[in-house]
Formats: sequence, structure tokens, C-alpha cells
Amino acid sequence: MAAPELTVPDLEINRRITILPLQEYYTSGHRTCQGCESALVMRYMAKVAGPRTLVTGTTGCMYVANTSYNSTPWSLPWAHTQLGSSGSSAIGTSAALKALMRKGKIPDERINVIAFCSDGGGGDMGLATLSAAMQDTRYNLLILLYDNESYANTDIQASGMTPWGAVTAFTPSGKRQRITHHRWKKNVPALLMAGHPTGRYFANTSSGFGMDLMEKVRTALDMDGPTFVQTHDPCPKGWDYDPRMSHELAVMAVECGITVLWDCLEGELRYQGISRQQVEGKLRRRPVADYLRRQGRFAHFADEDIDFFQSRIDEMWEDWILPGVLRVNQTPFGPGGSRG
Amino acid sequence: MSVGAVDITYRGIFQKNLAGVITKELVKAARHEDKIGGTVQRYGDSPERNGIPAKQFSVIADDADSLRVEMTKYEPSNVVVVAVMDDTLTKGVESWAWYGVRPINLNLAPGGTLLVISRRSAEELLELIPRREYAWNLAILPGEPSFGGLWVYNDDGTDYRTMGAVSRVAGDLVSLDSLLAQAASGQDGELRAEQLREGHDSVRAYPVDAGVGAEDTYEPVEMPGWTQMREGLVIPAVPVGETNPLFKKYTTRTARPLVKFDACVKCQICYTVCPDECFIPTPEGHWDIRYESCCGCGICAQSCPVTGCIEMVDEAVFDSNEPLHGVYENNREEYEELRQDKLAKAGGPIPHYGIF
Ligand SMILES: Cc1ncc(C[n+]2csc(CCOP(=O)(O)OP(=O)(O)O)c2C)c(N)n1
Ligand code: SF4
Ligand code: SF4
Ligand code: SF4
Ligand SMILES: [Mg+2]
Repeated sequence: MAAPELTVPDLEINRRITILPLQEYYTSGHRTCQGCESALVMRYMAKVAGPRTLVTGTTGCMYVANTSYNSTPWSLPWAHTQLGSSGSSAIGTSAALKALMRKGKIPDERINVIAFCSDGGGGDMGLATLSAAMQDTRYNLLILLYDNESYANTDIQASGMTPWGAVTAFTPSGKRQRITHHRWKKNVPALLMAGHPTGRYFANTSSGFGMDLMEKVRTALDMDGPTFVQTHDPCPKGWDYDPRMSHELAVMAVECGITVLWDCLEGELRYQGISRQQVEGKLRRRPVADYLRRQGRFAHFADEDIDFFQSRIDEMWEDWILPGVLRVNQTPFGPGGSRG
Repeated sequence: MSVGAVDITYRGIFQKNLAGVITKELVKAARHEDKIGGTVQRYGDSPERNGIPAKQFSVIADDADSLRVEMTKYEPSNVVVVAVMDDTLTKGVESWAWYGVRPINLNLAPGGTLLVISRRSAEELLELIPRREYAWNLAILPGEPSFGGLWVYNDDGTDYRTMGAVSRVAGDLVSLDSLLAQAASGQDGELRAEQLREGHDSVRAYPVDAGVGAEDTYEPVEMPGWTQMREGLVIPAVPVGETNPLFKKYTTRTARPLVKFDACVKCQICYTVCPDECFIPTPEGHWDIRYESCCGCGICAQSCPVTGCIEMVDEAVFDSNEPLHGVYENNREEYEELRQDKLAKAGGPIPHYGIF
């Protein structure tokens, strides 16, 4: 069916959005929570990718909540893939398209291949397959990791990307032990970037910055070779807050310097928007307490826990050569600045 | 050999812990009468999502065999009380495993009681609840819906007040005395006893005759079976420009966004931030809302830069899911009157309903 013709009012205030298609390729009728920002990420991703796109997704909310009981909100061809296998699924899909085109079975044209995963299926279980995908330069693919900071679908278990101290089904707060999640969140885009010089594009973004997110997805799809985009998505169920705050929390995480908007295009690292202003010293970071105190998963935090959280964030901005991205200290070769 | 069940119908996640406390405590209290019971969370609602209607049951029996038989069923058969934890659920529930919206009293046993936590009158609620072919009772426990989160429980006494009300309308199943005995064995016994008595004494019951209530316009709900599935579990994609025909999501909402189009600066932020793809452009540059798809998250209202332009209004005062910009286009004054009327009926906009 031809996409409907729709007029878009062209206004100064949000001009960049008007150039986007109004068509949705991920549409209404998904069983996600009220205020699910990961669903919004799916919407943005499908919108900029357009109709010549194949999507696969690993088990998790964006599989289970979207495509249950024999129904779907996708207008794009979409297939489920095993939890942990987004990298292999992206390579396989891309390789299959290439073979079909080489054999003349389908026209030789640009078809986007996107495999999405979340922090559990991608950042923990699927890390090996993500690594394999970032190494193989023969295939054009995008891995999108929507980071809702837990194994959300199975009712919120801690992952390697759950923030320090947060309550999850695996890390309750008790009378004897207030904090039971002791791991500091891992930085998957930086880890993939640092270890895979063959990857063409790595980016970190947030559901609260739709334009930044869509620009990054588009940039990734326009590159040849492996690309990776991660989005930080507030999850009202697992983070425990009123769903109407979803968007604001995503923005706040960036204002506090917890989430950093950056990308690395062929080895060139860039910061965007608020994060860029923070790096350039033009904007002060907001205290992390503003963000933490608004979520039930941090309701048990004592002041000292907030102070600890703040100190780790300060360190990553003040001591690292690449603020918020890679932990290499300002004096990389120890005191004196050289190896000798 | 008798067996009866209490069905707790609630808002997914927001009231999950509340429903868990009620169902478990009812069963424990029934033990004081030498009965045996169990609780069930309907598998089809799992994993729960914020706001999406869900059910948990207490099944209480005189003997173990009757209980065992009942527990093998997908849903208990003799539901003597359906306790509705938020009165907007009386507009019908579209749950996970079925296609279509179910009337709130679909499985209520003849002569059973629909217990609703509400500030509305019986007349107002019966405009929303469909008629049955048999007589039943409507009981109202005065109060606001109690919403909490997955980790932070909203301990406002709604749990024990509801149990007290259940013992009043279904004393044969579990009595107030048993509930009091059970509460006395736990923490904060005195406070709980007070809440139980308050619920027991403040609930008001109204007999509803066969044929009384709203017109039943519900289509039969359908649970898709494997025989309907295509080979390889292939599902047809949604044609571009359409929406998923099998799931609508509007019974998820407790409030809906109402737009004051006259105040709109046409910035498109609402359209940009809506996770449920609800906004439809109008030639004028306003954004109309497809209420059929709206889950009532309130992100649009929170993000709109103009104060008072989008407001969240109690879902119970609306009777249609049709978009409203058409009314505005026809006659601006008439639209403003409609908006004011809805706001007045709802007692103003809903600012925020979570603890966090
Ligand atoms: C191999 C395997 N282990 C466990 C599961 C059960 N499971 C289904 S979804 C899920 C959570 C996945 O978490 P994440 O990847 O973060 O996605 P989210 O639910 O957050 O969207 C788990 C553990 C599974 N489907 N497959
Ligand atoms: S649990 Fe979180 S990620 Fe999953 S549907 Fe709900 S809000 Fe979205
Ligand atoms: S409340 Fe607003 S943002 Fe939320 S689903 Fe409805 S229209 Fe969309
Ligand atoms: S966000 Fe508010 S002002 Fe902007 S287009 Fe939507 S209704 Fe109008
Ligand atoms: Mg996750």
C-alpha cells in the first residue's frame, strides 16, 4: 500500500523534525508499558531507517511486548532471534542478502540490516556476538542496543548495565544490607569502540534526544560495514516512577552527566548537544541527586550513596582524557606523564 | 464441596503488589475457618506492563480436592467477588492473551458482587458497567485508586480496607473475624484491624437486577489458538499508515490527554515524544489524537511547552475514542465547551499519580 500523503507544518521551532517522514514503520498496538521509552526508540529507529529495512530483535521487552499472541505493530519485516544472538543474526542476515544479490535472485540495492538487543541480551549475554559483528567488515549492519538498564521483560533482574546500587529483582535492599548491586555500569559502546578498530561507527545516545538518536541511526545505516548505536531508555516499570516523567528522566540523565551523547565516526570522537557543552566547560552538570531521587529503584539511597554515585560521575568527567567515554586518566603513563 | 474465588482486577505493575497482598491474606485468613486456598496470577497477563489490566485470584475451598480441580482451570469458575482496584477499569479490560475488550463483570457468578473502589455513585458506575442476564450486586468502597511501583509499595491501607469490604459482601467465603485473627498474627495488627473494620463498615452494596446497567456493546473476546497460526509463525505486517488491528491499548489508560487547540503553538513536541504513535497531523498544524491507541502515559502533557495546553483528564468521563479535532474544526466554541464540561465532570486535570 502506498504511504499516505500527509502535510507537515514547517515551523522554525523544530525545523529539523519536519524533514522526517510522518510515516510510522513501527506503529500503534504494542503491549509495552505506559511511557516505555524503548518503544519510542523502536519508533524513531524504524522511522529513519525507512521501508527498505530488515530488523531482527533478541528476546526481551521489544520482542515479547511487541509481537505477542500472533499480532505485531511492525510494518517492516521483523524476525525474532535468540537472546544473546543479535550479532550473529545481523551477520547472517547481511550475508544472506549479499549472497542473494550476487546470485541475481534479488535486485542489487541498499537494504538496511538492523539487529537490536537490550542490555541483558546484548551487553551481557550477547557481547561475544556483538564483538564478532564489529570485526567483520564485509557486512553492512547496525546493532542497536536499547539500554533499559535491566533484564526488563522477565520482571527486572540486574544486568551488567544496571546502575550501581539500584534495586532489581536480584538486588533488593534489605535491613542489613542497603546496597546489594555492587557493580559499576559497564560502558558497552566504548568497550566495542576500543576493541574493534574495524568498526566504522559507534554511538551513544538517549531516547530523550530524538533528533540526536535519529541522526546517529541514519549515520550508521549510511556507512558500509559494522556499526553500533546504544540508546539510554527510561523504563517506568523497572525504574519505578510515574510514566509521564519518562522523557524528562532521559534528558536529566544527560544533564547530570550520567549518560553522555557521543559518537565515533571512523576513529573521530565527537560529543553532541548538552554533553558537548559540558565537555567544553560551557554547561555545569546537574547534581545526580536530581535524577536518582526521582526513581523508586534508588529510594533506599542514603546521602552517602548519592555522594558515592556523584564522585564516580565527577571522576569520569574530571580525570578521564575522554570524559564519560574511556577511563584513561589525564596522566596516562603515571606520575610524570611518561613511561620512563 | 464448595469452592469460590475472589478476582482482583487491577492496573498492571502499579497495583501488582497490592493485588498480591490482598489475594494472599484472604487465603491465609480462610485457614482460620479450616478452609484451604491458593492464589493464581493469570499467566496470560505476564509479564505485566504498567497500566495494562491484569488479574490475580484467591481460590478458597472447603477441601483439598475441590481446590485442586479449580486450580487446574485457566481461570477459576465460581467468581463470587470481582474487586476492581481502579474504577476506570469498569469501562472494560483488554488483557494480554485475548483479542478484544472484555466487560468487567464477564465472569462474575450470578448473585456475585462487583466491588469497585471509587468516588462515583452507583448510578454513574452503572452507566459504564454492562447489564447481565442475571442479578448481581454492585458494591462501592469509597476511595481513590492506590497506585504504587514495583519496588516502592504504597502502604495506604487500601489492601486491608478492600479485604474488610470483601468479608462484608462475601462473608461465607471469608469472615471479618478470620481476617482480624489473621491480621493479629502479623505486624501492625491494630492498624490493620482498624483498616479491615473501616473497609467492612464503609462499603455500600446495591442489588442490580438482570438487564440493569449500560448497554452491552462488547464483541465476544477471542483467544487465538495454534490452529490459527501460520506456518513458521509468520504474522502479516501492518500496512503502512495503519495500526495493529488486534490490540488497541486504550483500556490501559486511567486518564487521557485533552488538547486546548487554541493554545497550541504547533511545535510538534507531542507528536515527537509519544511512544504509542497517537498523533495525527491536521492541515492547520495542530496534532489530533487517535485515542484508540493512547495508553494515557501523560508524556505528551508533561512535554508540551504551553502550560495547560495538554491536560490529563479522568478516563471515566469519556464515552468515545473518536479523535476530537473534528469537533474543534466545526465549531471552536463548542469544542471549548466540551473541554470545560469534561474537566468539570472529572474534577480538574490529574497532575501526577505516582509516588515518584
Ligand atoms: C537463552 C535464554 N535465557 C533466558 C531467557 C529468558 N528471558 C527472556 S527475555 C529476558 C530478559 C532480556 O533482557 P534484556 O536483553 O535486557 O531485554 P529487555 O527485557 O530489557 O528488553 C530473559 C532473561 C531466554 N529467552 N533465553
Ligand atoms: S518493562 Fe520497561 S522496557 Fe519493558 S515494556 Fe515496560 S517500560 Fe518498556
Ligand atoms: S498520553 Fe500522550 S504520549 Fe502517552 S500515549 Fe497518549 S497521546 Fe501518546
Ligand atoms: S506539544 Fe503542545 S504546543 Fe506543541 S504541538 Fe503539541 S499540543 Fe501543540
Ligand atoms: Mg534490558
